Amino acid sequence: MMRALSDLNPQTLRILALLLVLALVVLFFATQIDNYVTGRLFNRISSSVAIMALIATAQTLVILTRNIDLSVGSVVGFTAFATGSLIAGFPELHPLLLVSFSMLLGACFGAFNGFFVAYARVPAIIVTLATLALFRSALVEFADGRSITSSQLPQWLTSFPNTRLFEIGDFQFRAAFVVAIIIVIAVHIALQRLKVARKLYAIGSNPEAAEMAGINQKATVFFAFVCAGALTGLAGFMFLARFGNITVVAGLGFELKSVAAAVVGGVNIFGGSGTVFGALIGAVLVDLIETSLVRWQLVSEFWREAVLGMLILTAVALDAIVMRRLVALRAAKHHEKREREVANG
Amino acid sequence: MKTLMTSCAAAALLATGLSTATIATAGAQTMLDGGESVDMVLLPKFLGILVFDQANEGAMEAHAELENPGELLFLGPTPENSVAGQIEIMTTAATQGQGAVLLSNNAGDQIVPAAQAAQEAGTRVVTWDSPIPSGDGEDVFVAQVDFGSIGVVMADMAHSILGGSGKMAVLSATPDAANQNAWIAAMEEALEDDKYADIELVDIVYGDDQAEVSYNRALALVDQYPDLGLIMSPTTVGIQASAKAMQDEGLCDQVRVSGLGLPAEMVSYTMNGCAPEFALWDFRDLGYLTYYTAYGLATGQLTGEIGESFTAGRMGEYTIEEDPSREGARRILMGPFTVYTSENVEAAAQ
Repeated sequence: MMRALSDLNPQTLRILALLLVLALVVLFFATQIDNYVTGRLFNRISSSVAIMALIATAQTLVILTRNIDLSVGSVVGFTAFATGSLIAGFPELHPLLLVSFSMLLGACFGAFNGFFVAYARVPAIIVTLATLALFRSALVEFADGRSITSSQLPQWLTSFPNTRLFEIGDFQFRAAFVVAIIIVIAVHIALQRLKVARKLYAIGSNPEAAEMAGINQKATVFFAFVCAGALTGLAGFMFLARFGNITVVAGLGFELKSVAAAVVGGVNIFGGSGTVFGALIGAVLVDLIETSLVRWQLVSEFWREAVLGMLILTAVALDAIVMRRLVALRAAKHHEKREREVANG
Repeated sequence: MKTLMTSCAAAALLATGLSTATIATAGAQTMLDGGESVDMVLLPKFLGILVFDQANEGAMEAHAELENPGELLFLGPTPENSVAGQIEIMTTAATQGQGAVLLSNNAGDQIVPAAQAAQEAGTRVVTWDSPIPSGDGEDVFVAQVDFGSIGVVMADMAHSILGGSGKMAVLSATPDAANQNAWIAAMEEALEDDKYADIELVDIVYGDDQAEVSYNRALALVDQYPDLGLIMSPTTVGIQASAKAMQDEGLCDQVRVSGLGLPAEMVSYTMNGCAPEFALWDFRDLGYLTYYTAYGLATGQLTGEIGESFTAGRMGEYTIEEDPSREGARRILMGPFTVYTSENVEAAAQ
């Protein structure tokens, strides 16, 4: 069994393992919660993961370069609020212009982070920890006690996320989810195929070697932060469309969830390896566990966060141990094969 | 800083002179004299929420009316730092020698040491909206409505929406919010009456006063209890998020939403039947009354003794009394509150 598995690409293997864990989690909660496995569960998770999938994708881009973005929650909150204010003021604005505005605003926040990380050489954890507070305070200042309510928003915007594009049985595929999936796939393909995107992996796995190979490290890290910012801005737009009611606490705590999604999804926290597709499944897993815990009567409100934390820790630790074993096994097998080749040749 | 200290010293001198006068007239109604200089801090749970800004507007109105030459600061923590931020602002206010801190407490009893230190430094601590649960470190609590009566009103709204029988669930703010917990407890007590025998409270969940968390919690409730008839949310964020969630999923026919909400935010849900009834009080009035109380205490015109009465400008006469829901603590009861339906919500939303 291990032998057959070790033939697979580690990334594919990781995704298979995640899907298995996902299935186990669903099975476990199905025995614990009444009316659990229904079409509704799919609809709930898919609608809510549409936002987190984009943020986890953004987080992945940054983590790949050995950095981290803790300001995502504040960026989501600010862009959601600013986009809401804009459309409330100009209800006739074209949808595409509005989306561009959200992404551009997000990209500006990303550029701010990226500048300090890439060019001023301040560690990302410090920069984004500071901007987590800074962007949130900017939102409080900007909001000035107002909040955005769904009645201020045009119909097309609030009905967009829940528009049913198609249905398979009880499973509804809603617009926000489908859009998020398309974007994740697009970023996934770009990361595998595009030269400029491959640089993120190069810098993450070995910065010195990447520099020697002529990759501009500063520009690449800056680029990663700007792209992540734009994706986070888009998530802010989706957040506004889905929840409609935006106060200054919008998006609070998203940094934890997005890092959890990426890391559970197999993105190496030390950079250089991982896929956005993995991060997507990580986001689904985190969301599924959270949604299910709310309905699991055994766990009180006060313990839910702790249980979530423990599950994340377990998932990552298990993943690390199993992966290390597999990689060792693969290396041994490879070595064996080489020796045989040498002996035969 | 120096001028601040001198003006405070002057206020303190005035205070000693005046408090003897007030004690003599205790029991009678005190008319507050305007024009005395006292610096105060209005400290909400955190910045950026509409109702707290409304309270500030009310306090500013009273500040102008009483012609206080001192300063009224609206200082609050950022949302992600609410508890630590409140404690810090309280501590700073004490060292600055502020006359009073007007606090909507979000820090539970964790604020007690800071509040007591403030009192020892001569700063009066007047709570509003959400009190200090133990009552320690607090001069008086300006209660928006009687906490027991909120329970009855919520039970009555549930009774009328459910037509006398059905299942309901509560979607609250944070698990340690003193005001919401007290209201839910009051509602559970009210529900024990025979009138509500057929109404079953199936669950209490918390949306952390965040729209997205509340929205997802509301949907989880619906999935968990297929025959749920009502979500009762005693928080302006939760009620709005629940109503939006039910509307988005087309569930308004089965599951209604009620609780405490702002007319401007709830009007569309009340008109389309998702949230047929909800209640609230006026946060401007609450800020106004709290300011009068704090001004009276900080200038020494009020002592804060039980039974003491005073006139709070346009709102009329109020009396300091024992707080029935917190032993040994004192309160001033504002009341009443308004129940909004499709009849009156549109006018109130303007």
